[in-house]
Formats: sequence, structure tokens, C-alpha cells
Amino acid sequence: MKRIYTISGLLLLFTFFSTFALAQNIIVKGKVTDAKTGEPLVGVSVGIQGTTTGTQTDVNGAFSVNAASNATLQVSYIGYTTQSVAVNGQTSIAILLQPSSTQLDQVVVVGYGTQRKLDVTGSVASVKGEEISKQASVNPVSALQGKVAGVQITNSGAPGASPEIKIRGTGTIYGNTNVLYVVDGVWYDDISFLAPSDIENISILKDASSTAIYGIRAANGVVLVSTKRGKTGTATVNYNGYAGWQTVTNQVKMANATEYATAINELAVSNGGAPLFTDVNSYGTGTNWYQQVLRDAFVTNHNVSINGGTEKSKYNFSIGMLDQDGNVKGNNYKRYTARLTNDYTPFSAIKLGYNVSGLYSKSNDIPNSIFRQLYAAGPVLPVYYADGSYGDPNDYNLGGGNNFNPQATLDFYNQRSQNYRFTGNAYAEVNFLKHFKIRTSFGGDIGQAEVRNYTPVYTATLAQRNNLSVLSVNRTETRNWIWENTLTYENTFAKDHRLTVLLGHTAQRYKSYNFNASAQNVPYSNGDADLYLSLGNTTGRNVTDGGSLNTALSYFARVNYAFKDRYLLNASIRQDGASQFYGNNVWGYFPSVGAGWVISKEPFMANQTVFDNLKLRASWGKVGNSGVPFNPTTLSVTQAAYLTAIFGGSPYTGASVNSVVPPTIFWERGVGTDIGLEAGVLNNRLTFELDYYNRKTQQAIFAIPILSSVGTGSGSIVGNQADFVNKGVEFSATWRGTVNSNFSYTIGGNVGYNKNKVLSTVTGANPIYAGGGGLANGALSTRTVLGSPIGEFYGYKVAGIFQTAAEVASSAQASSAKPGDFKYVDQNGDNIIDGKDRISLGDPNPKYTFGLNTSFNYKSFDLAIDAQGVAGVSIYNANIAYRFGNENFSKDFYDHRWTGANSTNTYPSVNVGSTTNSAPNSFYVESGAYVRIRNIQLGYTLPTALAKKAAMQKVRFFANAQNPISFFKYRGFSPEIGGAPTNAGIDNSVYPLYATYNFGVNVTF
Amino acid sequence: MNFKKYNMQKVTGIALFAAVLITAPSCKKSFLDEPRQAATPAVQFWKTQDDATKAVNAMYANLREWKNIAFAPIAIESVPSDDAEKGSSVNDASFFNNFDNYTASSTDGQIADFWAGQYQTINFANQVLDNVPNISMDANLKNRYLAEAKFIRAYAYFRLVRAFGDVPLRLNVPKDATEYNLPRTPKAQVWAAVEQDLTDAAATLPQSYGAADAGRITKGAALALHAKVAMYQQKWADVLALTNQVMGLGYSLFPNYEQLFRTNNENNSESVFEIQSDLVPGNGDASNSQYSQVQGVRGSNGGGWGFNVPTQDLANAYEAGDPRRDATIIFRGETTPEGDAIPATGDNPMYNQKSYVPFSMWVSGFNEGVQQNIRVIRYADVLLMNAEAANETGNSAQAIASLELVRARARAGNAAILPKVTTTDKAALQAAIWKERRVEFAMEFDRYFDVIRQGRGTAVFGPKGWKAGKNEVWPVPQAEIDLSAGVLTQNPGY
Repeated sequence: MKRIYTISGLLLLFTFFSTFALAQNIIVKGKVTDAKTGEPLVGVSVGIQGTTTGTQTDVNGAFSVNAASNATLQVSYIGYTTQSVAVNGQTSIAILLQPSSTQLDQVVVVGYGTQRKLDVTGSVASVKGEEISKQASVNPVSALQGKVAGVQITNSGAPGASPEIKIRGTGTIYGNTNVLYVVDGVWYDDISFLAPSDIENISILKDASSTAIYGIRAANGVVLVSTKRGKTGTATVNYNGYAGWQTVTNQVKMANATEYATAINELAVSNGGAPLFTDVNSYGTGTNWYQQVLRDAFVTNHNVSINGGTEKSKYNFSIGMLDQDGNVKGNNYKRYTARLTNDYTPFSAIKLGYNVSGLYSKSNDIPNSIFRQLYAAGPVLPVYYADGSYGDPNDYNLGGGNNFNPQATLDFYNQRSQNYRFTGNAYAEVNFLKHFKIRTSFGGDIGQAEVRNYTPVYTATLAQRNNLSVLSVNRTETRNWIWENTLTYENTFAKDHRLTVLLGHTAQRYKSYNFNASAQNVPYSNGDADLYLSLGNTTGRNVTDGGSLNTALSYFARVNYAFKDRYLLNASIRQDGASQFYGNNVWGYFPSVGAGWVISKEPFMANQTVFDNLKLRASWGKVGNSGVPFNPTTLSVTQAAYLTAIFGGSPYTGASVNSVVPPTIFWERGVGTDIGLEAGVLNNRLTFELDYYNRKTQQAIFAIPILSSVGTGSGSIVGNQADFVNKGVEFSATWRGTVNSNFSYTIGGNVGYNKNKVLSTVTGANPIYAGGGGLANGALSTRTVLGSPIGEFYGYKVAGIFQTAAEVASSAQASSAKPGDFKYVDQNGDNIIDGKDRISLGDPNPKYTFGLNTSFNYKSFDLAIDAQGVAGVSIYNANIAYRFGNENFSKDFYDHRWTGANSTNTYPSVNVGSTTNSAPNSFYVESGAYVRIRNIQLGYTLPTALAKKAAMQKVRFFANAQNPISFFKYRGFSPEIGGAPTNAGIDNSVYPLYATYNFGVNVTF
Repeated sequence: MNFKKYNMQKVTGIALFAAVLITAPSCKKSFLDEPRQAATPAVQFWKTQDDATKAVNAMYANLREWKNIAFAPIAIESVPSDDAEKGSSVNDASFFNNFDNYTASSTDGQIADFWAGQYQTINFANQVLDNVPNISMDANLKNRYLAEAKFIRAYAYFRLVRAFGDVPLRLNVPKDATEYNLPRTPKAQVWAAVEQDLTDAAATLPQSYGAADAGRITKGAALALHAKVAMYQQKWADVLALTNQVMGLGYSLFPNYEQLFRTNNENNSESVFEIQSDLVPGNGDASNSQYSQVQGVRGSNGGGWGFNVPTQDLANAYEAGDPRRDATIIFRGETTPEGDAIPATGDNPMYNQKSYVPFSMWVSGFNEGVQQNIRVIRYADVLLMNAEAANETGNSAQAIASLELVRARARAGNAAILPKVTTTDKAALQAAIWKERRVEFAMEFDRYFDVIRQGRGTAVFGPKGWKAGKNEVWPVPQAEIDLSAGVLTQNPGY
């Protein structure tokens, strides 16, 4: 409570302080606007020549200054040409500022405000909305791929899925590892509800000093999104639309039926059995399951927006529709979005407004297992027999690992998902006492997601059949709100001292509720109209639910100070309390400080002509992460259906404790240092930015495996487990060239280098193992150990392949290996191959990320080509050995497999799934480096005169190709794997890569 | 000017009002004090009799969990014997072959699963044993619950010691992280703890329960398991005394050997310890036993996956005309007594009939054979332990009598088969009892360790690659050794 009084006291103090300042008189009033757009300009410096007196414009571009009637005003604003205006006794002056030609002096959105790019002391990257909407991406985040140094984006192939984004390496391991998205002041975990065309600007806060103001959720970086708002003027109608198709690329070729039968026979013999297939050639090439199930998928997208307003009231309204087919037949995602923004200025000092977004999406889903099935399905199996019935793997004795016909899987899968989301915020801003602004904003997020799955009565194959229908319904509700209040003081003292002070307070509440119910024997005679639980049997219904509720309370303050636009100092502190923590550990404190030196503004630089801009900056900050499970120190009771006891044939509810918890848990903290250099040369045509950063994560919270002899169900414990660091360098450069009035171009490149290293773990020198799930017989394939990157691959090094029984017999693996198996390196030379012989096999954290972005404008044509890639990264190809029985092999494996003495010394025999061969080893670790043409876009804008004839201001046609070409050596489907940090880079998903080709039009009426 | 001043005052007023608002939520001290949702804190549990009952229920339910009754036991306790082999389709789950030919290593997943499964059982028992004593509740019921938990814990340690030798001995729920990493306790000490638990359990448990409680641990179960534990230590006097006690408790052999294993004859007069499982309509999680499914006939609707199949060696082991052969083995092409026609073609010539549940009982959406209870200790086992102990202690008459009870039931009145064993030669009688154990308990997860405790590992399994000095036990899971940072040691030869 003490702190609260202090803050209230400070607020009052500021109020009084300013009241005294007000006692002076006002003489000249005015307004500064952009000469081109008519937009009011905020924070324009209005000085009086020959004095140290001066002021700045407010949010409406207005200023008032005490000046002699014959004085001359010096009006300067970054990004605009400085103007001198004679007062000449006027008390009201309208000033139009001309934008300067350089784009360097842009204003960037930072936490709780905007700053001139030049004043920023941290590392903030800005991407304009048009660059995002230009890409015709379904999700705005995926459009950022390759645009910003040090930002790694991993796309998922599933329609409607959000990509993973990592800023400067792995920040946190557990719980919520997403970046924080702040959309118009409201906090989100993902922004898939936003149509890319609604976005005005995206700022990516990369260093800890920039993100520290978001303390509680800043550990993984912060992405600030401003949406389009109304602009003064008559209504402008925009239409953006495109249609296209997506097609699978880089498809892994599988063995055909004859090859499959050959390999399976070899496997049967190797396992001591008789061959399964008598005449392998009789199967020919068989079924190509990918061809059977995959398709070119169509996508259409339409967006219409209306924008306009007056000084007092502005609006922006947009609606959008997306219809996206998946590459698997039957998969479809439809999204409808609507967004309304209103801003009112009832009095010059008061501004209020709101924005609301509505989203509805629905999808026809496919089972997650289908890609695994397509990979595994035997090509000897026909899709249908001659009589029209499904090909049954059981007729070919293909076994339990392969007992499905993928076509039947899809045909009898009936799942629809629906998503409703209503989110937005309302704000009010009051400017008072000239320098003060108080703002309150209340944001809410109401969501409901429903998944309805129906398994009908059907008979397809022996293993794929059902004689009792089941309907299950899963509904998730979210109810979140955030209330933020800020007080800003902005002033320029004695012309050279610019000061901004921010005080703020936030309260947040996040609630979610999940409900599942199922019933059996639900009819389908009337189609979906029958899909009600109440139509099913009254017995055997099942209900479960769950939920979470987190609250947070925060106080923060920030000071930005600039002297002569030359020396910059920014400092902030934030105090956060989160309900996830208990007792003395509820509150966390997150300070930051940054300093900048604009060298090019020094007098001694005045005469040099090399640098148009040269700035050195350094910052330090501390951030937190409350994205952890609710109070993991509370031991709780497990009461679940699987603990139901049976006595005398009747069920009895069971419950007990089968977990362990840590005694305490502290805030996980990120501490980051950033040193940067920004420069512009050749009239700012060439600009570049260089950053070095060091980002430590302290007391990282995550679950680590514990001894199974503790006897818990999960076999893991959550706690503050490790400290680690990401160190790196980022470089980006942009060249803006104008050849003549017809031809201009921009070429930008960026590269980020990041090295991840574990500094300490709670287990001391003993590694934290992970990466077991489902593959390699449960063997753990990654470790997190002192001095190495998080989750590095770990296992045996393959020396070669055993060629003969004699070679096996004389080796350290005599008791476990056969000819055709991997020969492992006996690292410690004890003539036993065991756990002690495992070594580091690779790093799943990319060392290099890079992007190349170009745009060319020639007369009415525009062309953009973006490329992007990663290097210095490893992938664990778990698909190869993730075998249970008669799964298919890739063509690559088939062609290179060991078939007898001296056939090969690199690939094992078809018995690759055996315990010996599937043990994590170097054969499965491959380079994940790739280079991709991310986007090619060619546009043509109709001549204005022609457009006007059709009552249109602007018409542009475009063609666009996304991900048309990817280059990589990796033997799997896609080198974009992702995954939770201690399990990252393990590929057992086999979702294919795809390219998208679109044709579209942008029209402005 | 006045107007302006008024305006400014208004604005200042709004600002002050907002400043007050800013601090408002913080006055509500409870804003950050939210309880965890949808979870009962453990400190609120262990208060009532109902809590104790639920914890005991959970302990029983866990016995039919995957790791305790499916692949891991097949790998550790069945396939390595001469009675069973992998089965299924030749290439399916070929890791079972590593157990059949003793090439399994410390990284084999089934080893880790078996280890983890037993310690989960131990945790559920320890939770009861540590916490139920402090609950104020019916004293008799409390003592019985504690005795049931001691039996369950002893059963898990019995399986662990057989499989691994020395194992960490955990007799309490760990208080904190300092108690997580326990070294292996010498086998003899673990046996002592197991015997203490079983002595305590037998002293408290009732001889029988009402029909509604069928399936709970009885005094007879505690004595019988104790006898088995003693037998594995060659404490023959103890085995004899304990089995004699059980034989005074009113058990009797179920007349029809084949019918003994059908679901409608569960918890019969021969049942000493039987893990309960059933189909709970609409509740797949509660109907989670896969014991019968993983061993069910392949390629038949309502059958199963076809693992753990009888070997020809087992089929040949029966005396001529022994009806137990057909009751134990489903032969390809036969029609079962329940009328299921087994396809004449298919991957495996034989399947386990003791886990067999008629196909017509399968309910779509549930595991095949989920209704099947798992017979862990049958009265026949008590009798044959009694016979063996009597023979070892020089009482061949009792040995012959007990043995004959088992053979007579198998004979089912057919005087032409299974003649009474009459030899009084100790070695010959011992061989006869051992042979009887094999055919009586075939496919019941007893054979592998039975042969090892008889000291005949090399003689019986040697041809498959079994080596004395190594294969008496399985390796300790590598992941467990890794996590212990060297506190756990590996068994010799692995």
C-alpha cells in the first residue's frame, strides 16, 4: 500500500507543479499540420529565435507560446523541413510543415507512446502496414518473416494456425513462450484475429530496455501493433482482394509398392520371420497416398474498408472474408472479420474513442494423425478394391503400426471448429495544463471456441470401424480484460532540454473455462441437426471441465530526456504483481535505462559530409515472465477417470496425489544489454544499423524430468531450473535508390547471429534430458547442460554400419547389434556402448537468420522480391526411425539402405526402427539450413486518368507468389520445425511445405 | 479568460478524479489473491474417510494401468520365457525380440516403463500409508485400508526385485527434493521390507468381503504373496507355513480350468488376488485396461493386437490329453468354446487363451477385452508352492497331495489322462512340481522368473542366449541412471 500512496502523491505533485507553470500568459496560439496530408503533427518543437524559450505541439498539433509580437518562431520536427515563421503580431498562426525527403526521421511506436526514431535508445524495428498487407499473408505475423534482423518466424502449414515467433533466440522455456502482442494498448498472446490489411504499423521491441515497460510479460519480446484509424477527409473506400491457390512443394518421395514390399520382406527376414509378400513385382508402383489425399488448395480473401471523418469525429470500418482450403482434401478454413474504430474530439483537450473487432471462423478439420498415416501407409494397399470397398491393411497382414487406410480415416472424420472472438478497447485522453495528458484505456477480449467431433457408425476396414456413434463437444471460453491508466508530462525547457515523464498503472484479469462433453449413439439421420448430446443415450455420457484465472497489477514510470537532440537518456521502472506467485514472491521489479549519443548532431560533425546520421546507443533492462502455470508450488489432488476403481463390477471414484511440486518459485527474469550503432550516409540513401546484445534469462521456470522412482504420473517437476544467455549481433542495411522519376528501388538486407548457452542448471553438472515423446522408443534425444545451447541434440556418434556378423561379434555391440545396424563410436574406449558414449550432436537453435527485401518501382509497375533463411541449425529427423512395424520408407532411405555386406557404410538396413538403430544418434541429425524465396510480387497501377474515368482514385493489380522456392538439404518435408525449447527441432510432424500463388487487386474509391 | 480558467479547472478536476481512479483497484487487496482453479489443494485432502477411500480406490485403479499390465510386463515377465514369444505381425514392435533373445539394453523403453509403473504403484500406496493414519475415521476401516496399501506396495517391490535385483527402497512419500534420489538398496533388505508389509497386511485383512467389495485384497492374498516372496528366497519352512495357512482359509479350485478365465467366473473360489477391470459405459478412461487387447487374436473383429503368443515349445510341454493345453492356447483355425471362429490364416499359429474375451463382448470405442480381470495369484499357485515347500522340507506325502489337487482338477474326471504323481524321490518330485507349475500357470507371467529362481536359467533359456551372471536381472533404465547423476549403478553385464 505504501507504494500506492507514493504514486498518488507524485501525481498530485505534478498537478500542482503544472498549475504554477500555468500562471504565465499565452500570446501566440497555433496549429502545425503536415503540408501534404493535413494531419496535425504532435510534439513539434516551436522555439523563439534568439531565446531559449520554446514549446511543443500537443496531440492535436496545437501550441501556444509566449512571445514578442515581432519574434520569429523556429518550427522544427524530425522528418520535416525546419521553418521560420514571423509572428507579426498574429495571435493565431497555422503552420504547414513540408516533409523532408529522408525517411530516416520517422516516428516509431514504443511502449505507451511514440518516439522519434532518433530518440530511441533501445532496439526497435518498425514495419509498415503496407509491407505486411502487400504479402497477401493470411496471418500478419508470417508476413514479418525475414523482414527484421534477429526475429525468427516459424510457419506452420495448417490453415488458420499461428506461426511461432522468436525474438533474439529462446527467451523462456515453459508455459507461455509467445511474444506479447499489444494491439492498440490491449495485450494478446496471438493476433490471428487481425486481418493484415487492418494494420497500420508493427513495432518490434527487441531489447530489454524497450520491453521493460511491459515487465510482467516482456520476457519473450514485445510486438506493438497499431491498427488503422480514421483520417480527416471525405470517405475513402478501399477494396483489397485476391484469389489463388496453394500447392505442396518439396514433397518427400516415398518408396513405391514394389520397393515397399521388397523392404518389408527384408525387414521380416531380419526379424526372423518369413517374407510378407511372395511376388514383390506384382504390386507395381501401387498407391501414392500423398497424391490420393493432397490437392492444390484454393484461397480467396476480400477486405473492404471505409475511412474518413472530421476534426471532431473520425472513423475506420473494415470487413474481411477469408476462405482457405487446406492441402488435404476436405480441409477448409473460413474467417470473417469486422473492425470498427471511432475517435472523437469533443473539446480540444479531450479525445476519446474505441475500437472493436469481431471474428468468426469455422473450419472443417482433418485429423492430426493424417500426415503420419500418409507417411506410413503401405503403397501395396489399394485405396479401394474392385468392388468399391476400402483396401484393408489387415488383408496384407500389415500389422498394428499400419492398420489404417488414410482415405477411410478422412472419409469418416467429421469435425468442425468454430471460433467467436470479440475484442477491443475504449479510451479517453485528457490534455491539461498544456504539458499533461492523462489517458485511461479499458480493453476486453471475449472468446468462444467450439470443436464438435462426430464419429458415425461405419465399417471401412478391420481396424477402422465403429458400431456406436459418439458425439463430443469441446467449448473453451475466454474472458480477459485490461485496464490501463497513464499520465504523461511532456515539455521542452530552455529549448534544448526535452523531457517526457510517464506514470502508469495496469490491472489485468485472464480467465478461461474449458468444457468437454460426449454422448454415445447420437443419430445423424437429419445431418448436423441431429448433433445434440441429448439425442444420444442417457447412459454413458461424459463431462469434464477445467479453467484458469490469473490476475496482475502493475505500476510503472518512465523518463525520456534529450539534450539538444544530441544526448539521450531513457529510464523506466515497473513493478508487477501476478497471482501466479505466492507470498513474498508476488511482486517483481523491472528497471531499465538507455542512453544515446547522436554524433552527427555534434558541432564537430557539422562540416563532414560522410554521415547524414550517426548515432550510438546503449541500454540495459530487466524483464519478467509471468506466463507460467498458476502457483506451481501448490500440491494438488488428481481426481480423474483413470483412477476409478472397480469392486464387485461397479466403479468407484478415485483420487490421490501423484505429483511433486517445488517448495518455492520466483519470478523468471530476463536481463538484457544492447549496444547499437545507427548510421545514414550518401544523403541517407544508405542506412544501416548494427546491434550487439547480451540477453540473460535468470531462474528460468520449466519442467524437468525427475527420477521415475519418485513415482509421479508426469515424471517431471516445475521450478526455477536454469540460467541461460543469448548473445548476438544483428546487422541490417537499406539502400534507397532513385534513378530517375520513373525508376526507384529499395534493397534491404538483414542478418542476425545468435548464440545460446546455458549458464547454470539446478541439476549442477548433470544435464536436463528431454525430447523423448514418441520417438526412438522413448529414449531422450536432447539435453540442456552447462555451457551448451538449450536442448542440444545428444546421442551416439555413428562410425559406420556393421557389414558382417564377424564384425559385430568383435565389436562393443556384440550382444545387441546385427549386420546392417549402426556401429557407434565407443567414446570412452571401455569396449561397452552405453550412456557414457553419447555426445553432443547439434544445436536446434539457429545461429544465423537472414533476410533480403527488395522493391522496385518503374513507372506504373512495382516489383518486390523477398528472400529469407536460417543457417547454423540442426534438425533431428525423427521420421526415419519412428517405426512400429511396416511403415513405408522414404525413397531416399530405400535407395540407400544397407542390403548386405559392403552395400553401404552410411545408411542402416531396413531394421532402422530397432532399439539399437533408433537410439538417438548422429544419423538422424541433419542441417536445418535453408534459403527461401519468401515472396515475389508484381503490381501494376492503372494510370490515374484511366482510374478516374471509372470513378476510382487508384487501381492496382498484382500477382504474388509466396514460398515458391525453398532450398535445403534436409531429408524431411520442411526445415521449419519449431517446438518447445527443450524439445525444439525434432521433426515427427511431416506437415508438408506449400507455396501460394495469388492474383489480386487493390482499389481505392 | 474566465471561461478558459473554468475550463482548465474542469480539466484539472477530471485529472484528479482519474488519479483517484488509478489507485482504486490496488485498494482491493485480494485482487492478486486468486485461488488455483479446478484443483483441490493437497492440504485440503486427507481430511475425511471419503478422502481415504478415494486414495485407496486410486491405488487399486492404478494396478490396471498400461505400464503395469501391458507391454512392459510382456517384455519383462513373459516373452523372455520359453512359453511365449512376441507374436503380432512379424515387424510390429520388434523390440520385444530383444527380450526374447536377451539383447535388451538399458535404453529399451519397456524397461523404463516397467520400472516407472512399479514406482507409481508404490507412490499410490505410500500416499495412503503416509496420510491416512492422520485422518480421523472408522478405526477398523482405516487399519484395513493401510493393510491393503501395504500389500499393494509389497506386490510392486516383489516385481521390482525379481526384475532388477537391488532397487531404491521408498517406504514414504518423499518430503522434498533431497529425498528424490535414492541409491539401490540391497535385495535382501528390500525382501525384508516386503515381508514386513505382508506380515502386517495379513494380520489385519479380512478373509473375505461382501460381493460389493469383491476384488479387494484379502488375508489370503497377503499370505499367498508372502509365500511366493519366501519361495523366491528359498525360505521353504516359511513357504510351507504360509501356504498351509492359506489352505485353511476355505479356497477351492474352480472345477473347469478353461472357464476359470472367462469374465463370468471372475473372483471365484480359486481367486486369491485378481486385478479388477471392467467396461464403464461412456467412460473410456475408467475402462482403460489393455491387458486383453494387446494379447487378443489378430485380424478378428473384437480380437486384439496379438502380442505375447504361446510357443510351440509350450504346446509340446503338456502331457498327452492335458485339457489345459487347449484351455491355454487358441489355435489358428479353431472355434473357441464361446463360438468364435479363429481365422485359419494369419500371422500367428497360437494366441493366449487365458486373456481371451469372447469377441461378442467387444463394444465399439472401447479396448477389446476390457472386461477381463487379471488373475495374479490363484489358489492353484498356493497349492503348488505348498507342494514344492513340502518336498523341499522332506514331506513328500503333503507334496504329492497338494500336487494331486491341481492335477485332479485339470483331469476333470478323465482317468485316462494326467496320472497322479507318486514318486517320493525329492529330485523327481521337484521336477514334477516344476513341470506342473509350467503348464498350470502358462501365459500367466510366472514362468520366466520361476525358472530363474529354480536356478535353471542356463538350462532352460540358454539355447535362446540367456547367460548366467547377467540375465538373472534386467538392466536399470539408462534414463534413470542419467537422472540420478551416478547415484544409481547398473547391473553387471549391461
